[in-house]
Amino acid sequence: MAATRAKPSAREIFTTLEYGPVPESHACALAWLDTQDRHLGHYVNGKWLKPEHRNSVPCQDPITGESLATCLQAQAEDVVAAVGAAGTAFENWSGLPGASRAQHLLRLAKMIQKHQRLLWTLESLVTGRAVREVRDGDVPLAQQLLQYHAVQAYTQEEVLAGWEPMGVIGLILSPTFSFLEMMWRICPALAVGCTVVVLVPPASPTPLLLAQLAGELGSFPGILNVISGPASLGPVLASQPRVQKVIFCGAVEEGRALRRTLAGKGAELGLALGAESLLMLTEAADVDSAVEGVVDAAWSDRSTGGLRLLIQESVWDETMRRVQERMARLRGGRGLDGAVDMGARGAAAHDLAQRYVREARSQGAQVFQAGDVPSDSPFFPPTLVSDLPPASPCTQAEVPWPVVVASPFRTAKEALAVANGTPRGASASVWSERLGQALELGYGLRVGTVWINAHGLRNTEVPTGGCKESGSSWSGGPDGLYEYLRPSGTPARLSYFSENLNYDTFGLAVPSTLPAGPEIGPSPATPYGLLIGGRFQAPGARSSRPIQDARGNLHGYVAEGGAKDIRGAVEAAHQAAPGWVGQSPGARATLLWALATALERREAALASRLERHGVELRDAKVEVELSARQLRAWGARAQAQGHVLQVAGLKGPVLRLREPLGVLAIVCPDEWPLLAFVSLLAAALAHGNTVVLVPSGACPIPALELCQDMAALLPAGLVNVVTGDRDHLTRCLALHQDVQALWYFGSAQGSQFVEWASAGNLKPVWVNRGCPRAWDQEAKGAGRELGLRAARTKALWLPMGD
Amino acid sequence: MTCPEIKSWTLNRLSHPDLSWISKIQVNQPAVLRRAEQIQARRTVKKEWQAAWLLKAVTFIDLTTLSGDDTSSNIQRLCYKAKYPVREDLLKTLNMHDKGLTTAAVCVYPARVCDAVRALKAAGCTIPVASVATGFPAGQTHLKTRLEEIRLAVEDGATEIDVVINRTLVLTGQWEGSDFIKTSTGKETVNATFPVAIVMLRAIRDFFWKTGNKVGFKPAGGIRSAKDSLAWLSLVKEELGDEWLTPDLFRIGASTLLSDIERQIYHHVTGRYAAYHDLPMS
Repeated sequence: MAATRAKPSAREIFTTLEYGPVPESHACALAWLDTQDRHLGHYVNGKWLKPEHRNSVPCQDPITGESLATCLQAQAEDVVAAVGAAGTAFENWSGLPGASRAQHLLRLAKMIQKHQRLLWTLESLVTGRAVREVRDGDVPLAQQLLQYHAVQAYTQEEVLAGWEPMGVIGLILSPTFSFLEMMWRICPALAVGCTVVVLVPPASPTPLLLAQLAGELGSFPGILNVISGPASLGPVLASQPRVQKVIFCGAVEEGRALRRTLAGKGAELGLALGAESLLMLTEAADVDSAVEGVVDAAWSDRSTGGLRLLIQESVWDETMRRVQERMARLRGGRGLDGAVDMGARGAAAHDLAQRYVREARSQGAQVFQAGDVPSDSPFFPPTLVSDLPPASPCTQAEVPWPVVVASPFRTAKEALAVANGTPRGASASVWSERLGQALELGYGLRVGTVWINAHGLRNTEVPTGGCKESGSSWSGGPDGLYEYLRPSGTPARLSYFSENLNYDTFGLAVPSTLPAGPEIGPSPATPYGLLIGGRFQAPGARSSRPIQDARGNLHGYVAEGGAKDIRGAVEAAHQAAPGWVGQSPGARATLLWALATALERREAALASRLERHGVELRDAKVEVELSARQLRAWGARAQAQGHVLQVAGLKGPVLRLREPLGVLAIVCPDEWPLLAFVSLLAAALAHGNTVVLVPSGACPIPALELCQDMAALLPAGLVNVVTGDRDHLTRCLALHQDVQALWYFGSAQGSQFVEWASAGNLKPVWVNRGCPRAWDQEAKGAGRELGLRAARTKALWLPMGD
Repeated sequence: MTCPEIKSWTLNRLSHPDLSWISKIQVNQPAVLRRAEQIQARRTVKKEWQAAWLLKAVTFIDLTTLSGDDTSSNIQRLCYKAKYPVREDLLKTLNMHDKGLTTAAVCVYPARVCDAVRALKAAGCTIPVASVATGFPAGQTHLKTRLEEIRLAVEDGATEIDVVINRTLVLTGQWEGSDFIKTSTGKETVNATFPVAIVMLRAIRDFFWKTGNKVGFKPAGGIRSAKDSLAWLSLVKEELGDEWLTPDLFRIGASTLLSDIERQIYHHVTGRYAAYHDLPMS
């Protein structure tokens, strides 16, 4: 770095034409730390909280190692105090008209505007990130987030009628996530009426400063509380009874561990995991611009993660030459220098990158490093890794900052297979000047965000999130708001955790069944077997389970499905998926309507089956009628999916797509055995999912009756129905890595198990926590909650220009 | 896109090059616009660096007057300014007075070439005289008169000719070769812009990689402030590298830029903002 050498004269620079230091003064950041006597506590309820007898950690300049301040480490009681303050504030805040909350958010935006220099210098000083990125990117975006969400708060009563704020939200940030990630989440939460407790890692003053700015607005002090402490406090925060939802931003394995810890606890869990991105460069790309995309993605201090770079073989040499040429012009140095591309990220990030590069090299990869970057820690040069063998451990591992791993592909189809062949699903960009190809790839990528011929664009109106192991928590746009809302009238989430649940043995054993007396079913008897791949099959275990009617008489036998049957059903669903996704919404609607007609034709038989299970005949008829209505309603709703967003500063549209989750497993409830089965099925199918269903345990026969029509009407494998021991089948589904989402309506223990087991592939789960649902009521049975959960969002950016 | 122009010492060096690769080049306009925005925000120079860079910028200037009312007296003043672009005492403070700092060339209409050559000779200055030619600025005259125009300007002593290319040929995909490419004549409504420059610089680099020939680059029109000139220097440095930062390969066509650079140098040296009369006019 130029600053460390003796200062050259203008005469020398005239010859070398080198760049010089452009230092940004951080005097105001130091002055702010002085106001706290260089000793930071927590900011709770509009006041600094500096309890005694706590450990403290130093907050250091990551580059010089100079100690800037000491930061208190919170303990469990501090967390309790913060949640208490947020809980009290929630009573007022959530009761306000949206317009008043909008006013308050705008005041906070103004407050940030007034103190923006303090914000950007403090953030750059303590994180080491390039000040340019914080000043020109993060700080304006933080203000825009407040402004956008103020508008959402203003229109809340009208647009979000039927929804209410969840309550106290816990937000857990890990060290690599900046204050902006916090803003992305607190803004929608505050806008809809929630209050927030943020747990930040030790020595992160910027979130504390933001909390102070919010607190100094005077009114509503407890809506934003920030405490700093070790990661181990995460579960403590999440387990507080008042906390209704926890959002965790951090590493995948930490997210997995938290998912397991929080199984059965009160709070819902949203995960935003990992930071790796992907860039796909085809031979039809503007290669120079794509190389700038690589810089934006990995070497500009915008993103916190590394990049996987897929390059079409025919332009491999040319692209690698250009990337390397470009790398040589990158400048690294102190973040507070206004003319550096990359700052530093502290010792931990440095070591992570170094370890990765060392391992990649030992596994046979080529490593290219370049750029004008100081050679001492914590700086790390821009790094390009290539020729990594496909099966090597480094190929599987997440690419860390500031590493780019390049690998070739032959065809677009292959590129898609490679890109979708990782457990990660956050964001990707496609570079191609061929419209058809770009759209094909954009639609085919299984990620939350796709940019066409751009990388790393973000806007308040565009939802950002992920799928697969990147977690499915969303921020920004309408999806960001629903994260903090629940249907009005939903009871508060309380812990239903059972100490006695043994995860190792839950549902492991299949009860053996014996003949249970004379079979007196109505004729004709329902077909016997499991509906898998479009036809009825005998269960792998070749055994059956008796189903009793309301009087305790044997109603009939159903097949006893097991692990192998689940495997077969999931495989069949996967095979049917591409065909069903490819269907137009109209075609899907037609099939659902045909199924509704078939169901009505069976009305008498279905009603009598229900009657045998203790339902009044009149109610049974209503249930059949409602079921047909559900099929038609979801068929009609399938028509309107996704919409186009217009974004400030971008010429061209952003498409908000609603894509199917994939293979969706549904364990249906015992209540409303036909209606619940049909409602869940209809919503899932309308959104393009293929399903594996476990019907009601007590009364599976009406569902099986309907299976006859489904076998005849629907494409093979689209709907698979497996009967049997519910705990056992739930276990098989929840632990299945290739089931992409799971809805469970059953016991509390089953719900807890599902939450715990979903950590395996981090599939989104929806559990009823042992509480029955009124499926005949609009809000619960057919409401928008079902539609929200039945698909996932993808944002597809399409910048245009000639 | 703006009107391109070609500066040429040796016209048609590449009479029949294989340029089929040009048709395969892809340019994504929104991405180029983003890059253009970034490049201005990501590279700044301050203090000594700024002063040195500004002095360097002076050496790239084609000090230009292209007015209908140009006469020998203002041409003479222009040439004198080209020879002494920055006040001697300021250069002394910066220890740059012995570098023989001049602009890269003066650039005039063909009819004024004689005046310029004479004035430079009188000032004892060896910098070249460039002349716009060939029906400047539209280029819509007959080939015969355009060639004659070049011949006459060279006869008068011009050693560099800024040729307006036949845009009819360009728009129909028939390209000409050159030593320099210029963003525009400077007489259009839109002149030198960063996005256009990025595309041209990348083309220059591609051409160099394919053929080993270095083509020069000259933005012209609308470059008035010292800050602009710094951005142009860093643009060339970023896209092509230091080897292009020489008057043989990089020029800035400008008339008022020089006085703003001098004002900034004055400010750097003295710590004060200059009054109008503190600096000699060109």
